[in-house]
Amino acid sequence: MTTDFVAETRRASVRSMVFRFQSLFGLVAVFVAAIVFSPSRDGELLFLTSDNLFNVVRAVSEIGIIAVGMTFVILIGGIDLSVGAMLGLAAVGSAVLLVENDFGLVPAVLVVLAVGLGFGLLQGVASAVFGIQAFIVTLAGLQIARGLARIWSGGQGVAIAYGEGPGEAPIAFSLLGERTFNGLVPIPALIFVVVAVLAVLFLRGTAFSRHVYAIGGNEKAARLSGVPVTRVKIVVFGICGLLAALAGIIHAGQLNQGSPNDGLGYELDAIAAVVVGGTSLAGGRGSVVGTVAGALLLGVLNNILALNSVDTNVQLLIKGLVIVVAAGLQRLRPS
Amino acid sequence: MDNGVASLVGLVRISKSYGGVRACREVDLTVRAGEVHALLGENGAGKSTLMRVLSGDLTDYTGTITVGDRPVRFHGPADAQRAGIAMIHQELDLVPGLSVAENIFLGREPRTRLRTLDRRAMLRETRTLLRRTGIDLDPRRQVGELRTGEQQLVSIAKALSLDAKVLIMDEPTSALSSAEVDRMFTVIAELRRAGAGIVYISHRMDEIGRIADRATVLRNGCVVAEFDARDMTADQAAEAMIGRPVRAMFTTHETADTGEQLLEVRDLVVPRSRPGRRDPAGISLTVRRGEIVGLAGLLGSGRTELLETLFGAGGRRRGSVIFKGRPVRPRGPRSAIRLGMVYMPEDRRISGLALDHSVLANTVLSVVDRIARLGVVSRRREAGAATRIVRDLSVKLASVRDPVSALSGGNQQKVVLGRMLLTEPDLLLLDEPTRGVDVGAKAEIYHLLGQAAQRGMGVLLASSELAELVGVCDRVIVLRGGRDVAELRTEQAGEADLLAASMGEVVPL
Repeated sequence: MTTDFVAETRRASVRSMVFRFQSLFGLVAVFVAAIVFSPSRDGELLFLTSDNLFNVVRAVSEIGIIAVGMTFVILIGGIDLSVGAMLGLAAVGSAVLLVENDFGLVPAVLVVLAVGLGFGLLQGVASAVFGIQAFIVTLAGLQIARGLARIWSGGQGVAIAYGEGPGEAPIAFSLLGERTFNGLVPIPALIFVVVAVLAVLFLRGTAFSRHVYAIGGNEKAARLSGVPVTRVKIVVFGICGLLAALAGIIHAGQLNQGSPNDGLGYELDAIAAVVVGGTSLAGGRGSVVGTVAGALLLGVLNNILALNSVDTNVQLLIKGLVIVVAAGLQRLRPS
Repeated sequence: MDNGVASLVGLVRISKSYGGVRACREVDLTVRAGEVHALLGENGAGKSTLMRVLSGDLTDYTGTITVGDRPVRFHGPADAQRAGIAMIHQELDLVPGLSVAENIFLGREPRTRLRTLDRRAMLRETRTLLRRTGIDLDPRRQVGELRTGEQQLVSIAKALSLDAKVLIMDEPTSALSSAEVDRMFTVIAELRRAGAGIVYISHRMDEIGRIADRATVLRNGCVVAEFDARDMTADQAAEAMIGRPVRAMFTTHETADTGEQLLEVRDLVVPRSRPGRRDPAGISLTVRRGEIVGLAGLLGSGRTELLETLFGAGGRRRGSVIFKGRPVRPRGPRSAIRLGMVYMPEDRRISGLALDHSVLANTVLSVVDRIARLGVVSRRREAGAATRIVRDLSVKLASVRDPVSALSGGNQQKVVLGRMLLTEPDLLLLDEPTRGVDVGAKAEIYHLLGQAAQRGMGVLLASSELAELVGVCDRVIVLRGGRDVAELRTEQAGEADLLAASMGEVVPL
């Protein structure tokens, strides 16, 4: 009976390991599948070329950065539907400030980041202080941010030209579309990695992160234990807005323009990445590592479908199935 | 069967394992018509598992269930209900957003001839049912707004409305005041006379003596003793449950009449869930260092609200609170904790713990920002703090990384206590600290409270268990209708005095 018990415990711990890193296993599985199904040219697997791999990371960098912020919000049991619209607002803001208002690179970036942070903080106040559900607050925030983007841009995309003269953005801004390290690593991918690493460290080792998890685990207990629940919630929404604005700046830099329709539906892709990454929508459980894995998993999937020229409509079906399967697997997780 | 009394249901050689752990081993149990059969045992002894088997909740057991001497196999709670077996769960299965009446008739709502919901019939039948059971509640009130005790009454009424022949009650009185307990016992006596069989799980010995006919004691999943409940002593039962003689339940600590005054509450008017007709004069009391002061009173007397208000977790208040020599008005729990107060809420599952988080995370929650340097938490120091307090309170666990939900009720409560003590408080505010906790853990918690007092902390302890108040406290303040109506020294007064003072007059529940 004792040995039974030991074996049982060991099995249970192996199982909980598998579930803990479920999204990483999922990522590996999709990666292997991508290698198997990769078309090849001149005997080289297209999927595995360094160019392609870095492209995958570049392609997920905007959603990935947003998803990192979304992870914080979902960990406290909230949701932020405004991030896609915030990306659009930030892209438009970057373009307008650089091109029409002749802002320098640093002031423009700081102003846009401040807009994102402020917008997020306001949503946090509405949700935490006035007790309106996050879903409703950020649904309204989505409309407002989209509206502001239209107003700020005059309703259409603002193209970014580079140069020294008036009406031209500093050339440094175009770096966001470039690659570094011998033209290998796309700058957006680099920023994504830096954001992800910072977030992982932050969420592992700070008192703030303990408060975030506690609020998601049991908000009432957290409050009675002295956790400054209201303040933490506001800051979390602030972080999410800030990261969405950062993604918007990158978006403008990559596409050399800012359009009020940028980032349409990105909030759903970000939520998908978080959920596939194993973070519970109920809050209190999950990780940024999982989210990064989730974002990459969806990115690899997109990439391999595109490499095989799968019809885009069919791509949507496959993505949907993957999300449902990933969420379904998490229900098997031992509680 | 024996005594010629018909057995309503029988459990024959029932065993049930979870993974490698055997929760029940070949348990035999019968419930006869017209009897209250008490089921005793520490948490983890297998009582709940056994009852989940009987109520059709667990279906992968070995052994036989008989109903009226016919073997049956339940494939779900619905089967058991159809056979006349209903269970009142420890975790209440009520829908908070629905009214009392809607909860009672959930899934079998009366219809009009047009097949629409017949609200009037539903309300009428609910009123009749509540009146018959002596429960004074408005059937239109939302269940979510009710206090735990009132919710418990609703789920009892719900089970009764199912015309159950066998009623399983799992700690039905744990959240009830003594007046409500009396009322429920009247209901139980009524059911017994009508020929129902009742399985009654409780940790309260006095209740068993009052209402049970027979008692079966489980330990480690086995039946270890059977008693005629009427001449069973509390010591006999406790010994059978623990498997060794009980050490003294209540440890005495030095009474510190001389301790410096820690808390003075003057004319504090607390917002109550059911305000009385007249404006209450408020509550006045004092707590010295080294003293354990009890708060007695019926449900709605303002016990919980007083603690919440002191802790800054209640609503607006009037009156003054002097703590450690200066007037205080905490803006919320965080500032109260900084002042040196900590609070244990009455329901640890709902307001005390994040159950699927680790013991570690739950234990250090109140002090993580103190442990942190520049906001960064050292994992070593964090684990060190948790491990130390968990050892000090002798919490039984495999690892501090295990989820709190893996612990027994008593050990969960110790985790809450540990979190409080880590803040190095001066005043402990406790609401029903031993609810749903087994005998052994109860004694340990009393011992820990005594230790805290000895170290110079003040303790304000609200409880509906009179034996606990008399056994643990130096003084007991009796609240009624939001006022302090009596103060008793436990050296001189007993449970009967407390009860009389709590009732005082007929208080509408």
